[in-house]
Amino acid sequence: MTLAAFKNRASQNQEAWRYTNLDTLLSPAALDAEPFPHGPHACPFKTCLVFLNGIFEPSMSRFGSVPSCLLMGDRDSGYSLTLGEQTCLVAHPVELVFASDSKAPDEIPLKFSISLGKNARLSLLENHRASAVPVSVETSVTLAPHAKFVHGKIVSGGPHLALYTVHAAEGSFYTNTSLLRRTRPARNEFSVHLDGQGAQVSLNGIMFLNGHDHADTTAHVLHNAPHCTSRQSYKSVLDESARGVFQGRITVAPHAQKTDGYQISRALLLSDKAEMDSKPELEIYADDVSCRHGNSVGDLDPDALFYLRSRGLDEKAARDLLIQGFLADALDSLPVEAWGSSFRHELGLEPL
Amino acid sequence: MLEIKNLHVAIDGKEILKGIDLSLPDGQVHAIMGPNGSGKSTLSYVLAGRDGYTVTQGSVTLKGKDILSLSPDQRAAQGVFLAMQYPVEIPGVTTMSFLKTALNALRKARGQNPLDALQILKLLREKAKALDLSQELLSRAVNVGFSGGEKKRNEVLQMAVLEPSLCLLDETDSGLDIDALRVVANGVNALRAPSRSMLVITHYQRLLDYIKPDVVHVLAYGKIRQSGGPELAKELEKTGYAAFAREDA
Ligand SMILES: Nc1ncnc2c1ncn2[C@@H]1O[C@H](COP(=O)(O)OP(=O)(O)O)[C@@H](O)[C@H]1O
Ligand SMILES: [Mg+2]
Repeated sequence: MTLAAFKNRASQNQEAWRYTNLDTLLSPAALDAEPFPHGPHACPFKTCLVFLNGIFEPSMSRFGSVPSCLLMGDRDSGYSLTLGEQTCLVAHPVELVFASDSKAPDEIPLKFSISLGKNARLSLLENHRASAVPVSVETSVTLAPHAKFVHGKIVSGGPHLALYTVHAAEGSFYTNTSLLRRTRPARNEFSVHLDGQGAQVSLNGIMFLNGHDHADTTAHVLHNAPHCTSRQSYKSVLDESARGVFQGRITVAPHAQKTDGYQISRALLLSDKAEMDSKPELEIYADDVSCRHGNSVGDLDPDALFYLRSRGLDEKAARDLLIQGFLADALDSLPVEAWGSSFRHELGLEPL
Repeated sequence: MLEIKNLHVAIDGKEILKGIDLSLPDGQVHAIMGPNGSGKSTLSYVLAGRDGYTVTQGSVTLKGKDILSLSPDQRAAQGVFLAMQYPVEIPGVTTMSFLKTALNALRKARGQNPLDALQILKLLREKAKALDLSQELLSRAVNVGFSGGEKKRNEVLQMAVLEPSLCLLDETDSGLDIDALRVVANGVNALRAPSRSMLVITHYQRLLDYIKPDVVHVLAYGKIRQSGGPELAKELEKTGYAAFAREDA
């Protein structure tokens, strides 16, 4: 989907985009005001597929022990990743690195189709290095019964728009953990359809923003079958004039009994000018369900700051340690251990 | 070590400390006793540099240098340590990484090389053992889910690790049963040294059976009303604080 298509989508559903005005945020003036430098890329994984300016670059990539037929397609028709039945690549986490350079076009549209056969398992980290030009991602995910897709995402900066549409069959599992940094702006949107009995989804993320960064996480989980479980858990750390948005919506169809849904958004505001907008929405048409949501916005605890400073930490060290503490459970519960160093590095945190 | 002269302190414009004079020489232990609300915690917070306390008059010097103009971390670097009456919970930060960060920050400020993770682990294990604190506590978030007694022992653990020269203990005995009190007192006594002074704040005389003070001061209604030897604590145990009636004049 191109930038124009995203803008068109937004104009047709203004309520769903009420906190993120693409016309303003992506106006030529806004994009020119603070052009973002293209970021470097390095990949710690054995399987690392590099896309430069939206085009897969075999010469820069490593497949490791993963068959190269995993990835098919091209920029114009879209790329696809397909795992056959019973194929398990969990022991070989795949990293997709998206980089751009001075030869980048005005915008980089990316299209992916990811499909996992029965019982297939895939761990995939999307690593979007900082980009000066808008990157838009349109990804569809199809999970056959009992497939498991562990999906991570890091955005290091620049304008970024993404829409993930997931269809999860019976007993399958989809989890995403996204880290959004220096986004000017970002929209990270999920539409997850739990179509088969007992399907599970877990959406998690960290928005770590400052300056005039703007990040919008919008997640819609549709419980279309009984006995499905959904979790949405987001943490935001907002400094200076940054703005974070979390819109979490759970829709439970009439026959989706025994639905278990939960969503929580927690934000830490480090400045008076930072802003967090959270909008939970529950639409429940079945009667035997458990759906809960929570939301908190706070600042750093002055008692905790004093406690740390009285032990010798200067103001910055004390703040950093409290921020690290705020994010600890999100970082400790990353589903792929090897992602930890990438996430911590991106956050500028020391390994513990 | 510590010289407090005519210290007046207000909170939100209300005067809480009304002219404290106290001189604590090197190596000595002084106790401050007094009824609830007399300003004991206020005094300890002002010495440690907490926000919200306005010094309207007077001075405080440590080893001859003014400390009132210093930030809490600068005071810590000068050797001030406050074991708090209500230790604060720090979710998500393990006691181990907290103490590692704190110790290395202080070592840096004091011109010493940082210790590596292994050296710190060894040091913490040894000190925790002496305080009868389980190793497992070190890998839990600071004070989160700790019992009252564990929180107080954790304060003393931090004191033992950070090796301050001025120890302020604010009601470190409250909430401790007799066995825990003995462990804590042993921990504190082990830290007594010619170059280290202590101000032990307590509501009850009981703690002073275990930590023998050189001088006992009675703080009531924002002033030190009486000072004496350890026998003063025993007297107070019998008579209570009623004798120190309000004297706002
Ligand atoms: N943050 C505060 N705001 C307003 N009044 C306070 C505050 N802290 C303490 N006080 C008041 O100061 C007085 C002394 O309190 P404190 O120093 O805690 O006494 P102690 O430790 O001796 O029990 C009390 O009257 C108390 O109500
Ligand atoms: Mg008190």
